[in-house]
Amino acid sequence: MKAKKVVKDQKTNKKEKTENMTIKAPFELEKLSNDEYILNMGPQHPSTHGVLRIILKLDGEVVKDLYADVGYIHSSVEKMCENKKYEMIMPYTDRLDYLSAVNYNWAYALAVEKLMGITIPERAEYIRVMLAELNRIMSHLLWYSAYGMDVGALTPIMYAFREREEVIDMIEGMTGGRLTHNAFRFGGFKNDLQKGFMDSLKKFIGHFNDKIDEYEALLINNVILTARTKGVGILSKETAMSYGVTGPSLRGSDCAIDLRKTAPYSIYDKFDFKVCTGKNGDTWDRLKVRMDEMRESTKILKQAMEGIPAGDIMAKVPKIIKPAPGEVYTKVESARGEFGVYIISDGTDKPYRIKFRSPSFSNLSVLKEIAIGSKIADVVAIMGSLDLVIPEIDR
Amino acid sequence: MNFTEILDKLKAGHEVLESKEDLGVLNAWVAPKKIRDVIGFLKDDMHFNQLSFVTAVDLPITNNIEVVYRLFSYETKDNVVIKVKLDRVKPEIETITGIFATANWHERETAEMFGMKFINHPDPNKLLLPDGIEAPLRKDFTCADMVPLPKA
Repeated sequence: MKAKKVVKDQKTNKKEKTENMTIKAPFELEKLSNDEYILNMGPQHPSTHGVLRIILKLDGEVVKDLYADVGYIHSSVEKMCENKKYEMIMPYTDRLDYLSAVNYNWAYALAVEKLMGITIPERAEYIRVMLAELNRIMSHLLWYSAYGMDVGALTPIMYAFREREEVIDMIEGMTGGRLTHNAFRFGGFKNDLQKGFMDSLKKFIGHFNDKIDEYEALLINNVILTARTKGVGILSKETAMSYGVTGPSLRGSDCAIDLRKTAPYSIYDKFDFKVCTGKNGDTWDRLKVRMDEMRESTKILKQAMEGIPAGDIMAKVPKIIKPAPGEVYTKVESARGEFGVYIISDGTDKPYRIKFRSPSFSNLSVLKEIAIGSKIADVVAIMGSLDLVIPEIDR
Repeated sequence: MNFTEILDKLKAGHEVLESKEDLGVLNAWVAPKKIRDVIGFLKDDMHFNQLSFVTAVDLPITNNIEVVYRLFSYETKDNVVIKVKLDRVKPEIETITGIFATANWHERETAEMFGMKFINHPDPNKLLLPDGIEAPLRKDFTCADMVPLPKA
């Protein structure tokens, strides 16, 4: 009886919602002046790369106000995880951000390993770093292609996907998936690197830096793109910090904050690489930071390839995962910023509470601050430079 | 700074109801009315310049909703967790959006997921959920769709 009532409630509410589509927006139609109007961008808009609705209040072409309406693909992952055993949660994490899945697996694996006090064999740590950096390159390449298309350049995708294919092949051999990679186990890996991985990696590192120069010449340093993005959507350091913006979007605003350096996890303190930053915090700086980061990732890959030791790839882990009561928060630098996993364990084989702190969630919330006052076409350029992935916002 | 130093500094100006160390991180419980003061103090005087997240935990055994604020300092590389116990029947707490702008969305999410209220919040609308679903992350949440599949 009770259950039926809930269903009925939901139906009536749905009807109400469709009748007042702008009910969630802070600006009401009646209060608009004569020159102002409201425009819905999304939920199905090519530049949002997912299901994101932005309600814009416009005066001619100028954005007067902006409201992000998220939650279209909310799947309540956190609730689902409360009813799953620890081992069963791993595949959910890589579906949050399908573009940098390895980093998401890693954050979750780190959390459980920290709770249980498991130490990882060194070879497994090296493999993790290599997969994560390849994944970062993969994600940045897809962003580069998609950004080109957002601003009207259709050629870059042809070039970037050529190299992305190489990376995908390498990761696919190890993880078995081209998109939602899932190879991490608590304690290391089940399988070692596939035969031929090192050869393909060597070949890739050999020519990838030249390709980045090619990408930059093609899109990033292009006169039209620089004219469209320089001085547009300026994000100040203070605003970025207050909004919890992380990752390349924060580093574009002259903040040398990269969790691989500021709070090193795994073996990142062994590698020599630079934290890339921009000067002005405008859209172009955020693009440039990502291009530079790919160079640094190549550097890390090269060092990891040379330094990888032989040995075990799996630590001794109990068959039944039952962490001691307590709580833990671990974070990694994903391609988009700080991804964190917060677990509260009550000593059973299922987490009592699990929370995913996703980077795009905070990065999108700052859009309002940086897009107001710009032209409507610039909103697309600015939003693309934040590199949003919607499933991790909605979770 | 280690666990005791942060706790001593915090205790000097503010009342800490309870505290414990969890994997090297200070967990401090404070009174709901003091939350703005404590977070403001941590940000301005102790350089905790990032609010990592705000969330809550449902504790039906003690009849509490516990709000969790996690802060990180990029300068000193320290973590601190501030917790507030609220009554499960009517959980209400002052917003900290004025101190950290990111709290705006985090609080909206927490509010809808746990059926709580953040007082003086600038935009108290739902963020992720559609209308009609209340407090899904509470432990006693039931929904018509949450029925196990029939056994074949």
